[in-house]
Order: sequence, then structure tokens, then C-alpha cells
Amino acid sequence: MMLTLRALLFQRRTVVLALIAVAPVVTAVVYAAAKPADSSATDFYSGIVEQLFVPTIGALVALVFGVSAFGDEREDGTILYLVATPQARLDLVAAKVAAAWIASLVLLVPSLVLTALLGLGESVTAGRILWPLAGVVLSALAYCAASAWLSLRTRRPVVIGIIYILLWEGSIATFAASAAKLSIAAYGRSFVAHAIPEASAPVAGVAASAAVLVLIAAAASWGAARSLGHGELP
Amino acid sequence: MSGRAVEFTGVSRWYGDTVSLADVTFTVEPGVTGLLGHNGAGKSTTLKLCAGFSTPSAGTVRVFGVDPRRTPEVYRRIGIVPDHGAPWPFLTARSVIELSARLHKVSDHRSAAAEALETVDLTGDADRPVREFSHGMTQRVKLAQALVHEPDLLLLDEPLNGLDPTQRAHAIALLTRLGAEGRTVVVSSHVLHEVERMADRVLVLVNGHLVAEGSTPAIRRLISDRPRRVEVTAAGNVRALARELLAGDDVEAVRLADGTLEIETSNPASLSRALPLAATRADTLLELVRPVGDDLESVYAYLHERARGRAR
Repeated sequence: MMLTLRALLFQRRTVVLALIAVAPVVTAVVYAAAKPADSSATDFYSGIVEQLFVPTIGALVALVFGVSAFGDEREDGTILYLVATPQARLDLVAAKVAAAWIASLVLLVPSLVLTALLGLGESVTAGRILWPLAGVVLSALAYCAASAWLSLRTRRPVVIGIIYILLWEGSIATFAASAAKLSIAAYGRSFVAHAIPEASAPVAGVAASAAVLVLIAAAASWGAARSLGHGELP
Repeated sequence: MSGRAVEFTGVSRWYGDTVSLADVTFTVEPGVTGLLGHNGAGKSTTLKLCAGFSTPSAGTVRVFGVDPRRTPEVYRRIGIVPDHGAPWPFLTARSVIELSARLHKVSDHRSAAAEALETVDLTGDADRPVREFSHGMTQRVKLAQALVHEPDLLLLDEPLNGLDPTQRAHAIALLTRLGAEGRTVVVSSHVLHEVERMADRVLVLVNGHLVAEGSTPAIRRLISDRPRRVEVTAAGNVRALARELLAGDDVEAVRLADGTLEIETSNPASLSRALPLAATRADTLLELVRPVGDDLESVYAYLHERARGRAR
């Protein structure tokens, strides 16, 4: 896992992802500097976490790291040396997903905490940081596992992932309530709603959302392990 | 996990409309087995199927009696050198081999790695990153990672590619020794003399078909004994020369086109003795004698035709 983590973090694309992850912080800095009289810090914070952080920033960062966990090794042929070992396929996948998840959190957690501190100002509370953080952490896990599975199933995992994030989660699931049930971001947003009542209505309670996100991660990891054992390798 | 090291039964593999391997059946026993064929013959596909990197479209592949795709434990007994890609190029050679040992559940991975590096003569460069290595050195890293857990079966896809003559000789000696120790070594190559130097047994693949298999000397005999064609240009009465040649036992057919004779023989050595005598008798002066279709592609084509003829 440490090897994958190192390979994921020490890449040029990590700088690009870090710039994407820092976007909410920059927005919060601008907001804190301007402090419009007619807006509440809570509205700003819940909006930025609900509309930008969980469904876009967190999703994209986790997608790229999740795809790269196996994708890079598929590309350079290293995956053959990993597969040709007596390690259980699920153990290999779990290590990769864990590495992608940690790499994502390295960028996302500081960004969310800084956004909360700067955006909320005096109205910051532990709950307003920790609950959204739990949503980001768990949705990142689900995105990473699903992306790792996609990278072993298709040749265009990033494109498919972006279509899912932007078209399904970002568009269809926002006006069709039943579609939101198939949205990772919607379950991540439930944690924001739990901490900030002003946020939009959650798709499920936090316990159910946590269970669904963990279930998605487990199912995707199982699927990835099956693909690793039965798919065509380069 | 017992049984033959490798067992293919009616194995075919196709990708869309392209048949990469067609109804291939063979077994591999301890010793060195050469997998010989031109580029695109199906050698890499065969090794990928052995290694569990691909699923047969039809038929079954068994390695030590099990399907490697369903039983990862079998990889404790298999060492693999794929044709392309270097393992974890950002790591040092030592780290790569130690990691490979750990992944193969070797208890003393450090000393096992040191031994494997010593075997491939990389101890001096062990602490340099693999990405700085030449192709030949990378090949040796790949060989070391395949040997570190002392596998019973080694699957090597063109392992001599990129090695200089000294390294090549060293690798051949190593593989021959491993075969003599009772391990099963399957090594692919498109170079016949390379395979001859290390393999006790050869499987010849042409266009996805297994066209010949047997001991290396038997395959060599088969190739040497095939009908040969020789082109002869001579000054003088070429028709008389053709008649003289046909009167002997060494020539099966003679064609005359544009003043050039194309002679078909199954005994080229005997023809080389008979030809000057026939030229003297026909009062002709030999100007050019050259073999036709003596390249490896022609050898493979002959074996393919021979196998098809037998099948019919």
C-alpha cells in the first residue's frame, strides 16, 4: 500500500489535483475578505460543501486517484508482477483502494477544514467540520473503490467516471429524487445536512448513508478483485 | 496442487476476429522447453495463458493441476518474466527483488533477494533505480524477480532480448542449469539456434497452430530434412544440365525459367556434390548457386504446411 501511495502522491498530476482541491479554500478566502452583508456564513459554507466540495472536488480527486491506483500499473506493465503472486486478489485491491483513499484525503481533509474555518468564521463548531468531513471521507472511499473497479473493467475509466459525476450526479440526480438514490455524492451530502439544518434535504440519514457508502466500496472492491482474477491483463 | 507443470487441452484464444491460438494441446514436463515461432505466432498468448493473465476462449489450461486464475496460491511455484514492462521502475533493483520476495511470501526476503541478484550478476548495481538501467539490465531484474522465490515453473517471454552476447551466454547457462535441476522452464524465442542451445524440447507455433513438437534434435532434423530449393544459373546448355540432374537420385524436380534452373531436393548435401559433376557432363559453366526460401519464415511455413497435410 505504501508503494502505491508513494507512486500516487509523487506525480505531476498530484499538483493539478492539489490546485483543484484548494479551489474551495480560495473561494472561502475571497468570501471572508468580502463578507457580503446580506449573506450568512452558514449558507455560504453549506452551499460550498454541498454543491462544490462533495460532488465535484472530492469526487474528481478520488476518481483520479482511484483510477490511477491500478491504471498506472496497467499502463507500464507492473500489474503483471503484482498479479503473479500468491496474494489474495481482494487483499491486492484493498491495498490499492486504501492507498487511493489516503492520497485523496491528504488533499481533501486540509482543504475542507480550512474552508470551514475561513468560511464559517465565528460560527464554526466541531460538528460543522466533523460531519461534513465524515461525508467527504466516506464518499471518497466509495469513489476510490468504484474508480478502481472501473479501471479494471474499461479502457476509459476517467471518461466514464466524469460522465457519472457531471451528468448523473451533477444533473439528473439533482432534479430526479429517485436518481439521487444511485448517487454517491447524494449520500455524502447527507452528512452536511446533518450538521447544518439549512442545507438541502438529505437522501437518507447519516447511518444509512454511511452504510450505503461502505457497501458501495465493498461491492466495488469485490468486483475489482474478480476483474483482477478473471480479466485480460496486458 | 500437483500434476503436470503445464497442461493445455484444446486451447484456443481469439480476440474479435483474430485467432491467436487455435486448438492447441500439449504438456510441459521438467527441463527446458522452447516455445519457437515467428512474431505473432502465438508464443506470448501461450505464455499469458500459462501465467493466468488471459482466459482461453475454448479449452482448458492447467498449471500444476489447477487454473491459476482461480488459485493464486499456485504463484508460489511460478516465476514469470513478461515480455514488456519493468517492475516498479522507480525502485532500486534490490527493493524490487525484496518486494517480489515478500509478495511471494518468502520468509527471509532479504537474503533471498541478495541471492537472486547475485545469480543474475546485478549485485554491483542493486542499489540503483531500475529506471536508470539499460534494457539488458532490466531484463536481468525481471529474471531475478522471477527466481527469488525459487519457483518450480519458470515462464519466460523472450528473456534474451536486449542482452549482450556475454549476458546471453550467462542467461542460457543459468536456464540450462535450472532445467537440469529438475525445474520446468518454458522459454519463448523466435531464434532457433538460441532455443537449441538451452531447450531439451521444442514446441513450434505458426499462426496460432502447434505445428511441431519434440526433442530439440528431432525438430532440427525435421527442419534440415525438409525439401530445399536451389537456384542455379549456368552458361551453356542449361537443358542438358537439367536432364543430367534429373537422371540422379538427389533431385526431385527441376523448373527452367528465364534461363535459371530451380531445383527441388530433399538432400542438399548430396546435391552440392552432384551439381558440379552434372555441370561437367552437360558441358555447362555454373555461374550462381543459391538456396531459395532458407529463411526462418520459410521453415515455419514448411512446418505449417506439413502439419496441415498430416491433419488432412
